[in-house]
Amino acid sequence: MSSESSRSLSSSIFLRGRRRGSNNSGRRRINIWAWIIFLIGILYFFVPLFATFEFSLRMVKDQYSFEAYRVAFEDPRFYTNFGYSIMWAVITIIISSLLVVTTAYWVHWRTPRLRPVVEFITLMPFVVPAVVLTFGLIRMYGSPPIVLIGSPVLLIAGYVILSLPYMYRAVDTGLRSIDVRTLTEAALSLGAGWRTILFQVIFPNLRVAILSGVFLTFAIVMGEFTFASLLSWPAFGPYMEEIGAMRAYTPQALAVVSFLLTWASIGLLQWIGRGAGQEQIAGAH
Amino acid sequence: MAFLEIRNVSKAFGENWAVSDFNLQVEKGELISFLGPSGCGKTTTLRIVAGFEQPSSGSIIVDGEDITFKAPNQRKIGMVFQSYALFPNMTVAGNIGFGLKVNKWAKEDINKRVADLLELIHMPELGPRYPYQLSGGQQQRVALARALALEPALLLLDEPLSALDAKIRVSLRAEIRDIQQNLGITAIYVTHDQEEALSLSDRVVVMNVGRMDQVGPPFEIYNFPKTEFVAQFVGTLNAVQVEVVNPENQTLLLDGQQIQAQSGIEGMRAGEKVMIAIRPERFSFVSEGKKANVLDGTIENITFLGSIVRILVNIGSFSFNMDTFNNPYLELPKIGDKHQITFSRQAVLVLNNGSQS
Repeated sequence: MSSESSRSLSSSIFLRGRRRGSNNSGRRRINIWAWIIFLIGILYFFVPLFATFEFSLRMVKDQYSFEAYRVAFEDPRFYTNFGYSIMWAVITIIISSLLVVTTAYWVHWRTPRLRPVVEFITLMPFVVPAVVLTFGLIRMYGSPPIVLIGSPVLLIAGYVILSLPYMYRAVDTGLRSIDVRTLTEAALSLGAGWRTILFQVIFPNLRVAILSGVFLTFAIVMGEFTFASLLSWPAFGPYMEEIGAMRAYTPQALAVVSFLLTWASIGLLQWIGRGAGQEQIAGAH
Repeated sequence: MAFLEIRNVSKAFGENWAVSDFNLQVEKGELISFLGPSGCGKTTTLRIVAGFEQPSSGSIIVDGEDITFKAPNQRKIGMVFQSYALFPNMTVAGNIGFGLKVNKWAKEDINKRVADLLELIHMPELGPRYPYQLSGGQQQRVALARALALEPALLLLDEPLSALDAKIRVSLRAEIRDIQQNLGITAIYVTHDQEEALSLSDRVVVMNVGRMDQVGPPFEIYNFPKTEFVAQFVGTLNAVQVEVVNPENQTLLLDGQQIQAQSGIEGMRAGEKVMIAIRPERFSFVSEGKKANVLDGTIENITFLGSIVRILVNIGSFSFNMDTFNNPYLELPKIGDKHQITFSRQAVLVLNNGSQS
């Protein structure tokens, strides 16, 4: 080996070693920053929640107690309104899932060129404020030929629109992870019709994706205020607002309870959808 | 009457014609391969037969019935896909039994049929497994069993072995052929792998830019290609342009040296240019005995390819690949050596304007 080539070899080893060293320290620095950002996120989320909880315990002077919770649970309207919200959420989830999965599936399978258009439409709820949307719906369906005021259809329709960005994105991501076209063609070649394909092939392989959309929809509907208030339907959002205007400690207790109940409901949905993850991952192969 | 007839089928996607005036008759129990490069229209033709694409013109007749506009789920045509397309949410048994369940078979009959098919694909114990727990080869076997479950009139296989490694590919293609022959099922097999097409098929359809260039048994396709494309695409080939000297005794001029063909230049005029092709294995070094065509050449390169040794010989302004079987005692020439090489008159394939004369 010539001295020149050995020199260049040793310098390349040196460079490689130095790069590896700098990479390691760089990675460590990124790790530290990741932890710092993660901690800030945790504090941002949990400090207000903890403060709310702590404040809800101070109803009795100079001592911590669950008095605010006792008062909240004694009110029968709490159960009525919470029950209504759960009912609205369940109906919204069913309609939204059927609408979004079939639409997104059709777009993937037959009209992929329309995907940007559909994505844009599903983003509209981020652009049009809920209050504008509600007044639009009231104006449109408050007088003949179609009168829907007084029926929960308008409320559910509004909730379905609100859930679109979350539900569509979740389902779209799920559909991208499976080979929709080939699975559909395989099922068709075996004699399956559209209903069989949707309910036995597509829906089961989108369980994880649909569940993420369902969690988000559930959380949105449970906390929604504008639609229920303006359309005068009982729901947990307007009830919280009403209590908040009259009392100091009970609304904080209700906020904590609503958090816990929403998490519990999401946990329940997660439990129902257990085991779906592996299948969806396998489908992505 | 043929079991499957593809009559004057054409398919356009916008301005581009993916398939142009495709005609084919397939007999019952026959396995036909569509062979060609990517974008030649082979998969589009297969999808038209399956019903996933509608032809722009032409018709598909199966067993005397025109199925051109029949929905794919009513055609009773089984299909095996390149990506297996197993339903990830179902077990192996669930996948195989899916079509039977859709067609409302009794549960006991489904179980029996699934068990028989698992036996057929040599996976009797793997019914309860999920697709993600199987290897690629096993998944494709399940896909084959699933396609066969309903005893389809026709089996379509769209590059079923492309995603598998070389060894599995060879063993599985033999298995597919065995099953197809044992069941006597009519099958169309799409592939871009010439070895696969030649080893599996009763007949091979070689396709190029949406057209059928040649159809025939593998032996005929390889040994008597009718067009330059077929000659170039199937196997390795030396194709050169030569000049006609005397059409009566089939004499041609290759870069100043005379050679003779067996046939193919009848009716041509002296001085006319013509393309000829010679397979590498048809060349040999001159030894004892009189040969029809002897050319002087120089060894340019030698490549060891395992069972064969490929020698690149320069003759005038052309370079020819020459294949010789490998053996441990083979005396190889050296690069730069001058040698005489020879080939028979029958080895010269005359190709002219896209078709053999």
